[in-house]
Amino acid sequence: MAQPTPIKKDHKLDDYNIATNCNSSFNAALPEWLKSARLNAYTDVQQSGLPTPKWERFKYTNVAQSIKNKNLSYAPADISTERDLNFVTDLTSNLNALPDWAKSFLSSAPAGQEKYQDMALWDINSALFENGLIVNILAHSDQDKPLNLTIKGRNGCHTQPRFLINAGENSHFTINETHEGEGDFWHNGVTQIHVGKNATLRHYRFQSNPDNAVHTQNTAVTIEEGGTYECFTMTMGSGLSRNQIHVSIIGSHAECILNGINLLKHEQIGDTTITIEHKAPNCTSHQNYRSVLNDQSNGIFQGKVHVHQIAQKTDGYQKSDTLLLSDTAQMNTKPELEIYADDVKCSHGTTTGKLEDTPLFYLRSRGIPEDEARALLIQSFLGDITERISDEHIREMAINQVISWLKA
Amino acid sequence: MLKINNLHANIDDTKILKGISLEIPDGEVHAIMGPNGSGKSTLSYVLAGREDYEVTEGSIALDGIDMLELSPEERAAAGIFLAFQYPVEIPGVQGTTFLKTALNAIRKQRGESELDALDFLKLMKQKTKNLGISDEMLKRAVNVGFSGGEKKRNEVLQMAMLDPKFCVLDETDSGLDIDALKIVADGVNAMRAENRSFLVITHYQRLLDYIKPDKVHVLAKGRIVKSGGPELAHELEEKGYAEFLQEAA
Ligand SMILES: Nc1ncnc2c1ncn2[C@@H]1O[C@H](COP(=O)(O)OP(=O)(O)O)[C@@H](O)[C@H]1O
Ligand SMILES: [Mg+2]
Repeated sequence: MAQPTPIKKDHKLDDYNIATNCNSSFNAALPEWLKSARLNAYTDVQQSGLPTPKWERFKYTNVAQSIKNKNLSYAPADISTERDLNFVTDLTSNLNALPDWAKSFLSSAPAGQEKYQDMALWDINSALFENGLIVNILAHSDQDKPLNLTIKGRNGCHTQPRFLINAGENSHFTINETHEGEGDFWHNGVTQIHVGKNATLRHYRFQSNPDNAVHTQNTAVTIEEGGTYECFTMTMGSGLSRNQIHVSIIGSHAECILNGINLLKHEQIGDTTITIEHKAPNCTSHQNYRSVLNDQSNGIFQGKVHVHQIAQKTDGYQKSDTLLLSDTAQMNTKPELEIYADDVKCSHGTTTGKLEDTPLFYLRSRGIPEDEARALLIQSFLGDITERISDEHIREMAINQVISWLKA
Repeated sequence: MLKINNLHANIDDTKILKGISLEIPDGEVHAIMGPNGSGKSTLSYVLAGREDYEVTEGSIALDGIDMLELSPEERAAAGIFLAFQYPVEIPGVQGTTFLKTALNAIRKQRGESELDALDFLKLMKQKTKNLGISDEMLKRAVNVGFSGGEKKRNEVLQMAMLDPKFCVLDETDSGLDIDALKIVADGVNAMRAENRSFLVITHYQRLLDYIKPDKVHVLAKGRIVKSGGPELAHELEEKGYAEFLQEAA
């Protein structure tokens, strides 16, 4: 698939003037509607600047500061796919002939913008993206092989990849994303997903960028009647990461399952911010996140379930549990329910604690050395999440990554 | 030979054990009986090396080796095994994984080679047979969703697998019906050997009908107030502990 394009050194990223140098020759070839969408996004960012802790949903996560300290140039993202699939196409070469659904993705306002007015990261991506993928999963298709994607950060660069994914009616598909790289970089991705009627999309993400990296990823998902979206996110890397997911459930009997594991150490900051909008009756959304924080790391979980009046019989559940391995690590959680329907079953909960003495003693009394006993108990804590991963291969991969994180 | 001499132990500056001395020669089974709160579990934890307890005086030696110097895992390798009064649930850790990890950790500490998967399974099959522990039970997470009886049988299985020299059973009979009690007792009896000794802690004489002790000790308020033969257990069953509570007070 697409070869990484040479780095363009002429495009410096200037903190509050971020879009001024967007590539004019690239823009020139675009259709008018897209040019104007990019210009709108550009204007919005010019006005707002990058997110700072003064913005409510960025209270704990200072994106502006972590980007400002870097001297980054723009480069198209380095995206590779394990094999060629005829329904996965390169975004750049298709921008003049996009299917309608993709057009509407690119011309729509950022998910959550109307309510929060804080979607600058999305806007930056809209103003600057030059590459990405279009994944158009045909209706009724059942692919047993997943799409394996690797997205690599490049030292000294910021990248703005865009992914447009449409899961056709009754289709079944799995996407596995790996985020990695070397050196100092900023990944600012936007992924837009449409899950059609009775379609199932499983979406797995592993992020193990180096500590110097900043990883911000916006994902917007729309789920139609009877559709299922299952997402698992493993965050182990980046000095600062922000995984923001906005789900709109617009058809009845749909299901959204969001799971995640955050393993943080050093001075890493890991932020998960989720909004789920229930806009149809009889739907389910379950969020289960577990974090293990060591050293001076900082975890953030902000989860919101918004049940619109029409969404009777909603089953909405949200849980964030954290294990602190050091006295200096910190977890900030902000679970929120906003409910306008009267017949719903919604709950949320968070726990933060340390490893318990009794299980530790139990294992040690069986001859298991203290370090190994701790590692087993941490695995046991995270087992609650890994066992929710439907894909066996991915489940194993997640467990192995946990084990190697514990050993490092 | 396990030798406890003048053992004193505290939790958070509260004195719980107040001078316990006991000698349990190889091949023998000793029972400790006593009312609730007398310090039976504390003694078992201190023997196994739980760090919340502070030993302020006295000694514990197994075959002449000072146990107080050793961590819980080192004591396990030296041959101490504690069957917990309340076995701990470990969600997400499969029973077999747990057993294999424990066994190989101990073998490693003892300077023996680790067992490969096949040899391990063979050993496990052999040990589970008489304890009525199914493969299905071992596939589940350790003690999670187990009945009281299953938990206690699982403790005895671990004991059998780890091949200890000195076993402490803390109220392994509590909460068991008579059939489960027999299974557990048979498991323990099958392990009786010339070079292995047992300390069976119980509240009731019933267990001692199935696991016949060589000696019975009465623990009250952190002290051993009486020692005798198996007949002492029957005496206690009839008279209760009231007498000892007054004496110890
Ligand atoms: N963690 C603890 N902190 C304070 N006191 C404790 C603690 N654990 C046990 N004790 C006290 O120590 C005494 C002995 O308890 P235990 O050894 O459990 O007795 P037994 O097993 O004989 O019922 C009791 O009075 C109990 O209340
Ligand atoms: Mg007790």
